[in-house]
Amino acid sequence: MKTILIFGITVITSNPLLAESTRQLESHEHGVGQLEVAIEGQKIAIDLHAPGADIVGFEYVAESSKDRKAVDTAITILGKPLDLFLISSDAKCSVMQAAAKLESDDEHDEHDEHDEHDEHDEHDEHDEHQEKSAHTEFHASYILNCMNIAAMTEIKFAYFDLFPNAKELEVQMISDVGAFTFEIEREEPTLDLIGKL
Amino acid sequence: MILRLAFGSLMARALTVSITVLAISLSIALFLGVEKIRTSAKASFTDTISGTDLIVGARSGSVQLLLYSIFRIGNATNNITWASFQDIAAQQNVDWIVPVSLGDSHKQFRVMGTTNEFFKRYKYRSKSNLKLQDGAFITDLFDAVIGADVATELGYQIGDPIIIAHGLASFSKHEDQPFRIAGILKKTSTPVDRTIIVSLEAIEAIHVDWKSGAKIPGQSTPNDILRKMDLKPHAITAALIGTKSRLQVFGLQRFINEYPKEPLLAILPGVALQELWQIVGVAESALIAISAMVVVTALIGMMAMVFSSLNERRREMAIFRAVGAKPSLILGMLVAEATFVTAIGAILGCALLYLGLFASQSAIDQAFGLWVPINAPTKDEALLIFSVIIAGAFISLVPAIRAYRMSVSDGMIVNV
Repeated sequence: MKTILIFGITVITSNPLLAESTRQLESHEHGVGQLEVAIEGQKIAIDLHAPGADIVGFEYVAESSKDRKAVDTAITILGKPLDLFLISSDAKCSVMQAAAKLESDDEHDEHDEHDEHDEHDEHDEHDEHQEKSAHTEFHASYILNCMNIAAMTEIKFAYFDLFPNAKELEVQMISDVGAFTFEIEREEPTLDLIGKL
Repeated sequence: MILRLAFGSLMARALTVSITVLAISLSIALFLGVEKIRTSAKASFTDTISGTDLIVGARSGSVQLLLYSIFRIGNATNNITWASFQDIAAQQNVDWIVPVSLGDSHKQFRVMGTTNEFFKRYKYRSKSNLKLQDGAFITDLFDAVIGADVATELGYQIGDPIIIAHGLASFSKHEDQPFRIAGILKKTSTPVDRTIIVSLEAIEAIHVDWKSGAKIPGQSTPNDILRKMDLKPHAITAALIGTKSRLQVFGLQRFINEYPKEPLLAILPGVALQELWQIVGVAESALIAISAMVVVTALIGMMAMVFSSLNERRREMAIFRAVGAKPSLILGMLVAEATFVTAIGAILGCALLYLGLFASQSAIDQAFGLWVPINAPTKDEALLIFSVIIAGAFISLVPAIRAYRMSVSDGMIVNV
């Protein structure tokens, strides 16, 4: 009991967010990812946030070699945006930047980004919480450069073929014309862009 | 041949035909009118705000934040602290940020505290700026700029004093600090028309002698002392943000939504407008359904007219057949008549609609703040008119086929 208590105090005091007693929990829905698309001139910035369950089928910390391999493969696939989001070749798009990573809770704490779970305070089994409560999320960000962006009339989401657990992507898009929101579902994986660029 | 016969036969029954044409033209005018009002309502709705990349407020729903910050409907759940506002303003991808402070009112209109930058940054109807109809923007602590509707409804002129009430629909007034109307804005058909805009510092200043929502009795800080005070606001209601590059909008949005020190929400106005319109959109489909039913009713009325005319025209049909007309000619003639009637109805309907629009355009704008543009029918509308005409032709097939079958046997028998 004593060790647990000491451990608990250490965790609480060592975490700057908890020290300010901020408790925030981001929503996390399995099957649903978020895609943000910003278009300016020839450049397209895309950010994808998808639950670990959608991408690799699990959200615990990968320890077995099979799970680690699954995560590595997923990150490799996520590193190729033009294979995930199919754009007409007439648009002449090339990848300028692509980065994909798995964001676990530990990373969040280090980054000082946000705290995804408040279980710290609710129970004192801190030593177990990583296995128990961790929601993980894959985060990929890309910058594309399209020489002929006018030819981009739609985006086809091969994403759903590559990740069979993904059901839906909530898309927010911003372009010259304005901001839009779409729900792209597995059954109809196409985003119509006519009149939106 | 068929056309000439059809035309002649219609002319012979001018009265009944003209009533049918009238019914069809009214229904088409209604249908197109509803369509026009619907599209312009949607356009003026989405045109309420443009050029702003993000709206920041206390964490609530995106639609709610949009409603209270832009449409001045409902109230904020919480305020934003000035410290958080400055934190956001210091982000390197923020190009400009305009604070907005709501909560007080004058008569039925809301008072908004902001900076002069609001006039430069707030844009509506595809990036139009707010313009002054009269006077100037805020130069003094107690200057107020009022929207066009405020000026007309309350009959205010430049230089008039106004007293702001504490809170909304409240009896306690900030009587010690009257404002002076410095400027009147041009009509925009946005909620700005119904807003009184003052400086953020003025909102602080009028609340100096107030504590816990009530005026401290006997205390009244003179205005010249107020002017010298540090009137840095403690809290604001919302903020409008423009980013340096559109590519950074989502990054900034995420920063604000995950801001650890205060629960904040950043929304893309276009996205929130779209979500709001989806809620309002149910009424929109109901309107379309009703006006479509009116068109269907008019077409059925025409079918009834053709049916009843068949009785009168039994002899006529029989004579046609007797002189050698094929049954297909009878059929063709009836269909041509109906198509003709619907086409005339459609043309008249359009004429009626445009006449009505010309007559009432400015009245609609005055009464509802809705600008219905007068422009040629869109592709969709033309397609719609065309499909109504086709539907008219199809509907007339029912009585025409009957006539086709019966024309000889029926007409030759002498009925007494």
